[in-house]
Amino acid sequence: MLLDLFYILVFPGFLFLSAFALWAEYFDRLVYARLQNRVGPPWFQPTADFIKLVAKADLVPTAANPTFFRLAPIIALTAVCTAFIYIPLWSTSSLFSFNGDIIVILYLLTIPTLCFFIGGWYSTSLYCRIGAVRTVTQLFAYEIPLFMGLLAPALLANSWSITEIMQFYIDHPWFWAFNLIGLIVSLIALHGKLEKAPFDIPEAETEIVAGGFTEYSGRLLAFLRMTLDIEMIVGASLLAAIFLPFGLQSGPVVGFLVYLVKVLLIVFLFSIARTIFARMRIDQMIAFCWQYVVPLAMVQLLINLILKGIIIR
Amino acid sequence: MSGPEDFKIPLGPQHPALKEPESFSIALKGEKILGVDIRLGYNHRGIEKACESKSYLQAVYLIERICGICSHTHSTCFVQGVEELAGLQVPKRATYIRMIIGELERVHSHLLWLGVAGHEIGFDTLLMYSWRDREVVMDILAMVTGNRVNYGINAIGGVRRDISQEQIKDILAALKTLRERTLYYIEIASKETTIIERLSGVGILLPADAIKLNAVGPTARASGVDIDIRRDDPYAAYSEVEFKVITDNHNDVYGRTVVRMKELLESYNIIEQALAKLPEGPIAVRAPRKVPAGEVLSRYEAPRGEDLHYIKANGTEFPERVKVRAPTLANVQAVKKMLEDRYLADLPIVVAAIDPCFSCTDRLIEVKDLDQGETKILDWQKLQQLSIKYNQQRGLDFTAAGKRLQRLMEK
Amino acid sequence: MTSEEAIVTELTNKFHVLDGKTQVRRPRRIFSEVAYADFRPILDFAKDKLGFNYLNMITGLDEGDNLALYYHLSKNNAITLNIKTFVTKNNPVVKTVTDVFPSADVAERELVDLLGFKVEGLAAGSRYPLTDDWPVGEFPLRKDWKMKGEV
Repeated sequence: MLLDLFYILVFPGFLFLSAFALWAEYFDRLVYARLQNRVGPPWFQPTADFIKLVAKADLVPTAANPTFFRLAPIIALTAVCTAFIYIPLWSTSSLFSFNGDIIVILYLLTIPTLCFFIGGWYSTSLYCRIGAVRTVTQLFAYEIPLFMGLLAPALLANSWSITEIMQFYIDHPWFWAFNLIGLIVSLIALHGKLEKAPFDIPEAETEIVAGGFTEYSGRLLAFLRMTLDIEMIVGASLLAAIFLPFGLQSGPVVGFLVYLVKVLLIVFLFSIARTIFARMRIDQMIAFCWQYVVPLAMVQLLINLILKGIIIR
Repeated sequence: MSGPEDFKIPLGPQHPALKEPESFSIALKGEKILGVDIRLGYNHRGIEKACESKSYLQAVYLIERICGICSHTHSTCFVQGVEELAGLQVPKRATYIRMIIGELERVHSHLLWLGVAGHEIGFDTLLMYSWRDREVVMDILAMVTGNRVNYGINAIGGVRRDISQEQIKDILAALKTLRERTLYYIEIASKETTIIERLSGVGILLPADAIKLNAVGPTARASGVDIDIRRDDPYAAYSEVEFKVITDNHNDVYGRTVVRMKELLESYNIIEQALAKLPEGPIAVRAPRKVPAGEVLSRYEAPRGEDLHYIKANGTEFPERVKVRAPTLANVQAVKKMLEDRYLADLPIVVAAIDPCFSCTDRLIEVKDLDQGETKILDWQKLQQLSIKYNQQRGLDFTAAGKRLQRLMEK
Repeated sequence: MTSEEAIVTELTNKFHVLDGKTQVRRPRRIFSEVAYADFRPILDFAKDKLGFNYLNMITGLDEGDNLALYYHLSKNNAITLNIKTFVTKNNPVVKTVTDVFPSADVAERELVDLLGFKVEGLAAGSRYPLTDDWPVGEFPLRKDWKMKGEV
């Protein structure tokens, strides 16, 4: 019982997750800055930002619905942290796993998006409302390809449990190479979920200030930012677990290091995408996802079906 | 507000997309723009009125502060007008120096614009790169004139500083770097997909509309309207250098980007030619204090388009009337046209694409006392006292702290 | 005959009121003066027949009893035709030119705000450039307008 609590709250649970998320934000900002010919922030900058925000007063707009306005960030943060404990990190087993956990994780990862919508909508400010509507519109663009991309390996392994998918990879090494298209699809979709450039349409600064987050301040804003940071780590860990099954049998220390490298590699890819693309328009983003990303995901599913029918049987 | 899909959202007077206070009220249906109301005037500082109580010499400095980016534009336009009124023959070398500074200013303005445009479409990397390169030209301007902005090089009858041989060498070296970088940006602009996707077909202004709405500068030239004061109504030494007037027929924001980038290359050419044939001689003639009665219309091709000054003299040392028309004012009507049936996401870049400069547009500081509806001008000390009093009323009193500090200093 | 002189001849042939009141002051600058009653046909003629398709600026002037207006037009971006006209200060009513030059909108609002012109036919819209709470009847660019209060 106590050990479980330690796992959930300290390592590899909440405390580690928060520290890693903040450090990953620093890493992302540093890469972004270096690519832009800037110096970049010191290593403690995201932590300092977090502490500063937490110390500030929370302002709730008079026209806003205070319950939903306050609840949205907290629920969002809880959901992403919960999702993390179902993801195996350096071995094939996670803290808690059961058949169907991959579905639960996907749903838990959808909750923050809905919270951003609810928080933005109940702020009642016009910028927030437009941002909120954009958040949900964007959800329809990336969520389907994300599901299709992530479920393709599950189809191959014939299981809805991440542990079993990883076990499948151990039994069939090199099969990860057949899922590369799925990895690319999921990376693009996850990038959309994290609302980073070129998919930062819901918080496009030059149009709608900060979108759904415009009215947030203080602790609640800190929670929202933390949610996005943690979501990035959780999403990257999920992709690493499902698509990059390396170092699973090399013991906790090496396995853990390999895990860190995998996550940072994904974060690095996100930073590069953020540097080299201009923001899309919402219609362009939806067209892009449905015209290119979804067909790609379908190709992946087709490949896996053929593999399953012919080779594995 | 009649429903969630029929919004009217305010953009400004304070908004991250605008670098200056200006108010756009946008009626939206979903993401589509139904109509735009533009409210200008937040930067009105009464400069035209203030000029009437300043001598011509003082007015030059005031006029130069109409705008931070195109300060040389306004001061040159004004001194040219006054020189014409006074019948002064400006030395050749001075006109060349004015032209060189004018083109350097255009380079800095266009590079600045490129960065802002990148930021407006969520492409901050372009902003960081182009603003880094803008430092090169800012350093050159600081070296030649002594200032990064508001160069203060113009005087009635000539210029105040000469360009030395060493400076010419430095300028040429800087131009080499800038030309390289500009070619790189042109390459990016013509190859990078997300940029082309975001800029093409956005903010369409057909040539017929451009003429009908009297658009000027790069905005008009990107719609195929071949106008440029430098060629059509030459001033300074522009009739003695060769350059192309860049036009483009994309008619959209992409076209405006291409025009500005290619104009950069032309500016480098002009500066190089001017430096190569910089005539020897004095850089200024003595200007009279009093200017004979008369009136004049002075025109100048600013980085943003045509800048116009009308000056009326009455034979004293004070101008009778100074009227300024900045290029942005001419392009505001075109913006409304460009935004018809566009998406909200396009608004920032469409507005940015005319390279708006609202402080130029509004010109005209009066501090208004709201209680009495009376206009008064506060001098610096009064303003300071007012500020102290205001903060004391809100519980911020620095008197005790100030005394403590004073005691410490005395020890 | 230069093209400027040709324009002047064409103008004076058509409008005899312009005789002796139109001159070329320097290359590409034509200045002209006319009473307000005769002004509008000249503007239309200049735009439709002479090709002055740009209205670059409108300048308002306070000339004592009269308020004067300068319409600065240009042709091919080179030759400018500056037509001066005036109305009395007691009744400074002019008709809008936004029907032929839509870009004149802001310039005319400025005349209303700063010099107290009354422009007939100007579409409803926000004022420019003064603040919304600017006192009625105060026109800063008139010569008799002085800063009030402490100076």
